Amino acid sequence: MIFIALKNLFQEKTRLLISIGGVAFSVLLILILQGLYQGFSYRMGEYIRSQPADFWVSDDKARDMFHSISILPLEYKAKIEAVAGVAKVSPFSARQIVVNIRGKREATYLVAYDSETGIGGPNKVVQGKQYPDQGEIIIDRVFANKQKLKIDDSLLIGVDNFKVAGISEGTNLVTFQYSFVTKQDAERTFKTADITNYFLVSMRDVDKNQVAVNIEKQLPGTEVFTKQEFVENNTEFIRETFLPIVLVLLIIGFAVGVAVIGLTIFTSTIEKAKEYGVLKAIGVKNNQLYQMVLGQAFVAGLIGYSLGVILAFAVNQIVTRLVPEFISLFRLVDFILVLGATLIMSLLAAYIPIRRIAVINPAEVFKA
Amino acid sequence: MSIIANNITKIFGSGHTEVKAVNSVSLTVQPGEIFLIMGPSGSGKTTLITILGGLLSPTSGSVVINGENITKLKENKLPAFRLNNIGFIFQSFNLLSALTATENVTVPLIAKGMPKKKALEQVKEMLERLGLEQRLNNKPADLSGGEKQRVAIARALITKPGVILADEPTANLDSKNGHEVMLKLCAISCEENKSVIIVSHDSRIKNIAHKVLWVEDGKLIKEEEGNHKKICPHENLV
Repeated sequence: MIFIALKNLFQEKTRLLISIGGVAFSVLLILILQGLYQGFSYRMGEYIRSQPADFWVSDDKARDMFHSISILPLEYKAKIEAVAGVAKVSPFSARQIVVNIRGKREATYLVAYDSETGIGGPNKVVQGKQYPDQGEIIIDRVFANKQKLKIDDSLLIGVDNFKVAGISEGTNLVTFQYSFVTKQDAERTFKTADITNYFLVSMRDVDKNQVAVNIEKQLPGTEVFTKQEFVENNTEFIRETFLPIVLVLLIIGFAVGVAVIGLTIFTSTIEKAKEYGVLKAIGVKNNQLYQMVLGQAFVAGLIGYSLGVILAFAVNQIVTRLVPEFISLFRLVDFILVLGATLIMSLLAAYIPIRRIAVINPAEVFKA
Repeated sequence: MSIIANNITKIFGSGHTEVKAVNSVSLTVQPGEIFLIMGPSGSGKTTLITILGGLLSPTSGSVVINGENITKLKENKLPAFRLNNIGFIFQSFNLLSALTATENVTVPLIAKGMPKKKALEQVKEMLERLGLEQRLNNKPADLSGGEKQRVAIARALITKPGVILADEPTANLDSKNGHEVMLKLCAISCEENKSVIIVSHDSRIKNIAHKVLWVEDGKLIKEEEGNHKKICPHENLV
């Protein structure tokens, strides 16, 4: 009986377009929000992932780079190096600071870039110098665009003047961006010659978990995170901040989809109530009629989903060009989940029309 | 296939609002017979045909079609019984507006589980026999009243049911098309040995009926012979 469902669906083209448009909008909204959430989450950990370390050693009162500051004495470096199995230890100093750009105060996350070890450097420099010299700074591309900064422009950190020497990518943290200066400039700026924030530790081919336990034993007051754990700690910031908002918007998007397909299928069912009565009278079973309604809802849902996916890619392309801060990441699993959500949307949308059909009395068709 | 109605009564409402739409009606229609039920509006004709078609349960009495007491059949068994044994023809044709003539007629076959391709072949043959070979792919909106009713007749016949129930089949047709539909119903009864019950105000149908039953206030008040024997057999009707 699916062919009748399709014929009914395509008979009223305006209603079909509204139905498909509603689902497409809903899918677009859900995919973009999910893409933004995943994009933000990915970017929060991207920089940490790029750093050459097996473990991040932190002050045990700090879990991530954003909620609290980890402060560790530089002398711990030698102690960590002394732990069996440790191959290399590098201090990592970074802090959120305020810079002065043409009289305007803007936040950035300043990282000490050790050009000798490569620790603290940007993922990718896309313009200018790979390494900053004394008095120079590498800034993120999004930050440069937002602040209209270009190579050789200047900004102030405290009373010190820094010249923009390079532009980096993969260093955007959504709400602010990473910037990079030499280790010496960072120490002077942070006024922390004898302390650092983290130690990045590389291991030999040993039982890494045991080494982590040994470091914590050797240095009470420290906590050792695997790279993945540290990425997750930092991503948690996004989950805590954005996930509740994203969830509410996702639910709204889902509800819009259900409402639009539901209303269009319901009005179609009401209009065709007599035809459903005729089908019942000639002997078509209720289950076959329900299949017809479900067929209509699923086909409208699937066409809407396909259109929504195309629109999501198009919107993403356009907005990314216009708004550099717009970071989204589309994962295959999200498309599969949204497809599942669309099918559930269609199922829910068919519920009321099906109930309406169930109570149609076939005897009514004899009324002229 | 015979239809035996035993003492059917149908009461709507209760107390002060109680209405006896059908009051102790009994009838027996043998295979190949055409019964015409006549009576004024509101006399209970439509309620009676609805009960005979298994679309409405009587308050009391029974309807037996081909030995099966349909008043005792479970609700979920009735659709399959109707699909296999009863063909309906309605006053306002009741074709599905989104489907072509051919597709409309395939619906009962597909509901029975026949593959669409096979169903289309059978339907095409049936519509050609009814003179609709030029209208196979037309939707109801593009068909004349007579053509629509012929499509509806094809839909009623396609599953080869033993019983045809027709409600005012000529009411929405001009005299020429009405006459044509009458002759086709007559041929269905004669050539395919089907029991046909027609509810109508149209007295011309007496010419094809074996019996004419007069209903008033839900009661069978008169039964007379029709003129069927005078005009049968027909040639080249269906």
